[in-house]
Amino acid sequence: MSIKFDAIIVGAGPAGLTAAQRLASKGLKVLVVERGRKPGSKNVYGGRIYAHVLDKLYPEYVKEAPVERWVRKERISFLTEDSGTTIEFETNNVEHKSFTASLSDFTEWLGKKAEAAGAVIISESPVDSLVVKEGTVVGIRSGNDEVYGDVVISAEGINRLVLERSGLAPKLEPQMVGVGVKEVIKLGRKVINDRFNVDDDEGVAWAIAGFSTHYVPGGAFIYTNKDEITLGLVIYLGHGSKVDVPVYDMVEEFRLHPFINRLIKDGQLLEYSGHLTPIMGLNASPPSLYGNGYLVVGDAAGFLLHGGIIIRGVDFAIESGRVAADAIIKIHEEGGKYDGSSLSLYGNMLEESFVMKELRAFRNAHRALDEPRLYNDYAKFINAFLKRYFDVDGTPRKIFSTFKETKGNLTILDMMRDMTKVVTNL
Amino acid sequence: MDELTIVVPVKAAVPNITAVRLDPNTHNLVREGVPLMINPYDRNAVELALRIKDRFGGKVITISMAPPNGKDFLESTIGMGVDEGILITDRVFAGADTLATSHAIAKSIAKLYPNFSLIIMGEETTDSTTAHMPAQVASWLEIPFVYYATDAEPNIKDGTVKITRYLEDEGLLEEFIYNMPIIMSVYRNSNPPRDISLNRKIMAKVNGLVKVLTNKELGLNPDCVGLKGSPTIVAKIEDAKPLPRKKQIFQGDPKEGAKWLLENLVKEGVIR
Ligand SMILES: Cc1cc2nc3c(=O)[nH]c(=O)nc-3n(C[C@H](O)[C@H](O)[C@H](O)COP(=O)(O)OP(=O)(O)OC[C@H]3O[C@@H](n4cnc5c(N)ncnc54)[C@H](O)[C@@H]3O)c2cc1C
Repeated sequence: MSIKFDAIIVGAGPAGLTAAQRLASKGLKVLVVERGRKPGSKNVYGGRIYAHVLDKLYPEYVKEAPVERWVRKERISFLTEDSGTTIEFETNNVEHKSFTASLSDFTEWLGKKAEAAGAVIISESPVDSLVVKEGTVVGIRSGNDEVYGDVVISAEGINRLVLERSGLAPKLEPQMVGVGVKEVIKLGRKVINDRFNVDDDEGVAWAIAGFSTHYVPGGAFIYTNKDEITLGLVIYLGHGSKVDVPVYDMVEEFRLHPFINRLIKDGQLLEYSGHLTPIMGLNASPPSLYGNGYLVVGDAAGFLLHGGIIIRGVDFAIESGRVAADAIIKIHEEGGKYDGSSLSLYGNMLEESFVMKELRAFRNAHRALDEPRLYNDYAKFINAFLKRYFDVDGTPRKIFSTFKETKGNLTILDMMRDMTKVVTNL
Repeated sequence: MDELTIVVPVKAAVPNITAVRLDPNTHNLVREGVPLMINPYDRNAVELALRIKDRFGGKVITISMAPPNGKDFLESTIGMGVDEGILITDRVFAGADTLATSHAIAKSIAKLYPNFSLIIMGEETTDSTTAHMPAQVASWLEIPFVYYATDAEPNIKDGTVKITRYLEDEGLLEEFIYNMPIIMSVYRNSNPPRDISLNRKIMAKVNGLVKVLTNKELGLNPDCVGLKGSPTIVAKIEDAKPLPRKKQIFQGDPKEGAKWLLENLVKEGVIR
């Protein structure tokens, strides 16, 4: 009774749906299986999408996709209990570089695109494992059912249980991932414009370190949508043992911090969610990104660039989905033999795309970002320094003496070492 | 009657009642943007229909009046084993109360499946809990209605059906023999629904087993459906205010704590 597909995709996130759309538009029979209620219902992220890949793949997105605001202001803050230091970058150039969006809405839109191209998307069906025959992946298993396809794409996100159960990826180690929690708070367009000092379609992207994660490696974020803001944080799980409260309490404390609280006064909490996120880039990749009958894309492949302030997953997911589809289309046209050696085409094409170029460049970013001092001593030091420096009371405040007074446990050697780490790895 | 035709009307319900807003003017549920799911008790009705089909053959059809995205959950009933789904969706059906909904469902069944043998429905819905529908569908079609059914054994030769029902309060199992066609609603703690098959869901989508019909095809009387056909007026709706809590916390020896708790519960009249 079962139908055989040219390609089966596990997971309807940005990666899987892009692959589906592209494959189906070339006439391949494509099945996408998603465990959530609909595409997008399980996707969680902070708030912004970098547009460069959409310009190429979905140029119509500007008109059709649920874009919220174009990011015009970038803020970075170091926060302590009672002080905060913020750097703000603003540009007047009307460049369309990145926009805020609800990832659920955006993914739902990608789903509609894929369906319009002819892909079959089945929701509310968790895939349990891959069907492997004689060392080759030939399909997927869900409950008592098996469905067969010439090639299977794992686009299941970072919690890649299907790959794990099939022995194609090891269990995740805590230091490979962060846990993210996020809230969506409704404020109304005018209130957002006023409090964040932006125009109607202008948005703010804001990264906040220090108190927001109880000085543990990780960071908080705020993004402005049209009528609501998203607010949340990511904690590096490798430092989980240093966390003294549950993460949902932490995000609450962050929200109640006087500097944040006044921005969201009278807001209405619409939703909250949590998700893992890979933080080690390629170091979190499964041992192989392709093999007999399968390939891996998006978060499942570790394709996430975590640069501390910048977190980019969606554009990597979309691009890797695109590359996977193009590799499959080529192999399909040449007779459709999907063994590991023909699928190495995927690996080669990835190397040529920005996916591998950028991820390789930042391969050791976590070495710098994993340094607890960045989130603790430095956040405290910057604020103590400025507090002291601006606190004019008749005693002389020269920079160096203020520095010595406020640097706490930091030594100049630490600082030089950390600086080198940051500069060489980021 | 040579083959059983079993129709199961199902409802697209709102999954999380607490997350739902009410329109301050009409007092109706705001359904826009709310993801829909099949009313949980309707799955027990589908299950009973499938169990009957498993034993006595025939065809099972699910039918729903819902917005266009209702197609998905009809496909999931096909995943359970249903043969085809009917989604009736049209702007003129919007704003319907139970009377207008039952009219649309009853008349659509009569039109599409005039030779139906059984209509099987859920006990009630989790998002409005009126339990009106089965009785109302029965009266539009002028056929008998049995509620709290747990099983049914049709006899295709003589056109009768033996229905078992369970009366919870009395702890009674009753058996009736009726002529078909008949409507029954299914006791919610019976017939736990079976798993949904991925392959059947794929088949439903690929082969288009859910038909979408508007009133152009159905030709129902526009005065009897939607807002026009709905005499119900929600006159008033009040938010139940949460009871103020005393927030007393006992700290110290657990034994003392137990005593303290007991005394206070007695004092408040919670236990005697
Ligand atoms: C807190 C947080 C903030 C972030 N902020 C940003 C940001 O601002 N910008 C940015 O670009 N990126 C951000 N990211 C990263 C971004 O969310 C991911 O990189 C991106 O969603 C990856 O897409 P994907 O398609 O690979 O996987 P996902 O989006 O995770 O999608 C995987 C899909 O597979 C489904 N699935 C999983 N297992 C199964 C199974 N067994 N059977 C069926 N379906 C299954 C899931 O339900 C899901 O729908 C953030 C992440 C987090 C956690």
